Amino acid sequence: MLLIEADGKALFADHGIPVPEGVIVTDAVPELPGDGPWVVKAQVPVGGRGKAGGVVLCASRADVATAAAAMLGRRLKGHTIDACLVEQATVGQERYISIMVDPASYGLRVMYSAQGGVEIEQSGPVEGRLCAPHPGAVADALADLIADEPAAWRGQVAAIGKSLASLLIEKELALAEINPLFVGDTGCVAGDAKVVIDLNAVDRQPRIASLIAARPAIYVDACRKLAEGFDYVELDPDGEIGLVTTGAGLSMMLIDELTARGAKPLNFCDIRTGQMRGSPARLIRVLEWITSRSSLKAVLVNIFAGITDLGEFAGLLAAAIKASRSLHVPVVARLVGRNAAEARRILGEAQPGMLVTEDLEEALARVDAIVRGLP
Amino acid sequence: MIGTLSRATPVIVQGITGRMGRSHATLMRAYGTNIVGGTSTRTGTHEAAGVPVFRSCAEAVLATGAVASVAMAPPEETWAAVQEALGAGIKLVVTVAEGVPLHDAIKIGRAVRRAEAVWVGASTPGLAIPGECKLGFLPDVCLNPGPIGIMSKSGTLSYEVGYRLARLGLGQSIWVGVGGDPVKGLRFADMLPVFFDDPRTKGIVLVGEVGGNEEEDCAEAYVRIGARKPLFALIAGREAKEGVSMGHAGALVHGDSGTLASKAARLTQAGAEVFGSIEALIDRCARVYRFDKR
Repeated sequence: MLLIEADGKALFADHGIPVPEGVIVTDAVPELPGDGPWVVKAQVPVGGRGKAGGVVLCASRADVATAAAAMLGRRLKGHTIDACLVEQATVGQERYISIMVDPASYGLRVMYSAQGGVEIEQSGPVEGRLCAPHPGAVADALADLIADEPAAWRGQVAAIGKSLASLLIEKELALAEINPLFVGDTGCVAGDAKVVIDLNAVDRQPRIASLIAARPAIYVDACRKLAEGFDYVELDPDGEIGLVTTGAGLSMMLIDELTARGAKPLNFCDIRTGQMRGSPARLIRVLEWITSRSSLKAVLVNIFAGITDLGEFAGLLAAAIKASRSLHVPVVARLVGRNAAEARRILGEAQPGMLVTEDLEEALARVDAIVRGLP
Repeated sequence: MIGTLSRATPVIVQGITGRMGRSHATLMRAYGTNIVGGTSTRTGTHEAAGVPVFRSCAEAVLATGAVASVAMAPPEETWAAVQEALGAGIKLVVTVAEGVPLHDAIKIGRAVRRAEAVWVGASTPGLAIPGECKLGFLPDVCLNPGPIGIMSKSGTLSYEVGYRLARLGLGQSIWVGVGGDPVKGLRFADMLPVFFDDPRTKGIVLVGEVGGNEEEDCAEAYVRIGARKPLFALIAGREAKEGVSMGHAGALVHGDSGTLASKAARLTQAGAEVFGSIEALIDRCARVYRFDKR
């Protein structure tokens, strides 16, 4: 998961990588560092903010206030802007440096370019080296990549590379990137921070856990996953079809297929029936989130159970539907696995008229018909 | 190793006295897998799921001659479980835990490579040679011996594909869940030679997802080593939002990298057929392999 720039820079600062002085703005603009000019940057966990209008250079305090006010609350590349980072603008030559996990080699990829900045992807392939996941190996790889840089500050870039490597390894990151890295005779400064964390390591990374917990509005999906133990991602607040489904891949495919039919899925969900342990609580939670959207027209339950007993699941689903007072739309259930006949009987008694089928295409067609208001 | 697995291959289950270990050892045995024992740190338990329980992999391997292991360990203990298996001389390790930390997966990958062993995981429902054996928990209802090799990043989406093939009387030769983690054991490209060399396999189904570059690497390998058998691909995540991961840690799109469009284009250029829906893939397989039904 990508951290917002401000949090990436907090980790940089922990590890001795210089960052510009800055303040977070969520409402009124506080005291600004220095005399300007300043940059106002939208804090959303997505790349390419500059080109999307999420980075504005401002000469005066009044301009900063205007730029921040214009950004806050706006949506940028699918994310609502809840915070801006205002920093003193930095000048200097721009470089690109990144270290990332390289899955195929079970090592790290170190990349460096003498052309930093937002156009990095257009300026041709960035040179990289693969190395073992150890700080010493990263240092050797980087030394090779920066050999042509001026001797005056080559040592500083090497030191930043060393800090970046120890940050990536200690905090178990997937990616740590600085673009642009401002370089010059007076020192190096990280102009931006792109840090991708591993959510599976958060339990043993208290610093990362506290960064996520501090921003529940920005890291909504991650906070939910850590608190609930399963995946639920709202895709479209105006969605019409709520999904109660198992399996990441199958749920993604359902979203693709529903969208291709012209339907609007509300959410992604991987509910993990194996962890319910006889309680409808998790189903009730999901129905609560789904029914909180007034655009909802139908709920599609799709459970492909390798292990789960569908009779037991159907009992939990019936209990959850009964307990969900805010559920006023039809539920369609597609259930495959052990004890499917028993599941049909239980749901048939609890919810007369509800379609319970083993055939996914039939379930999709029914949901489609409900959304379109067909009989 | 994968191509020669059979009901004779001796397999152990690490963590066999746990809830998951015990129930899946029983299910694997019922399917025909030659489970010869298991390991547990719990003292005083000498038998579980009808097979002997050992204190360590080394003891289990010495007593049973096991060559493969299914590690039923929690995510944070998976790295230790693999180290133990490799130390005992196990040559195929299947790890099923969901959420193995990325940097643990790197350590596992390096250790497996050093030991010249094969790893399926980090998170996988396992693998199967239908009609022979299964290592992991691919549902029996989806398994049917036949001509189609399946490799998949997603458990459930592959179940859906296998189930619909099986209902039509079509089946699978070798089925490997490579899993949805970015750092993993066997990758799609590694499976191509296995399928090409396997006489039972007539065609290959790739069930992919957005994120990473495994599908692109597979397309490149498909061309490089000679497209000896047809490749049919289904890829989930067309509607994935940039920077938002849905369930699988590996299913993450950044910029243009890892998008469905990139994967579909590369696979199509390489000569594979890419499908936009489950039904379209199944229809095509049903047409191509209509004389291979059983």
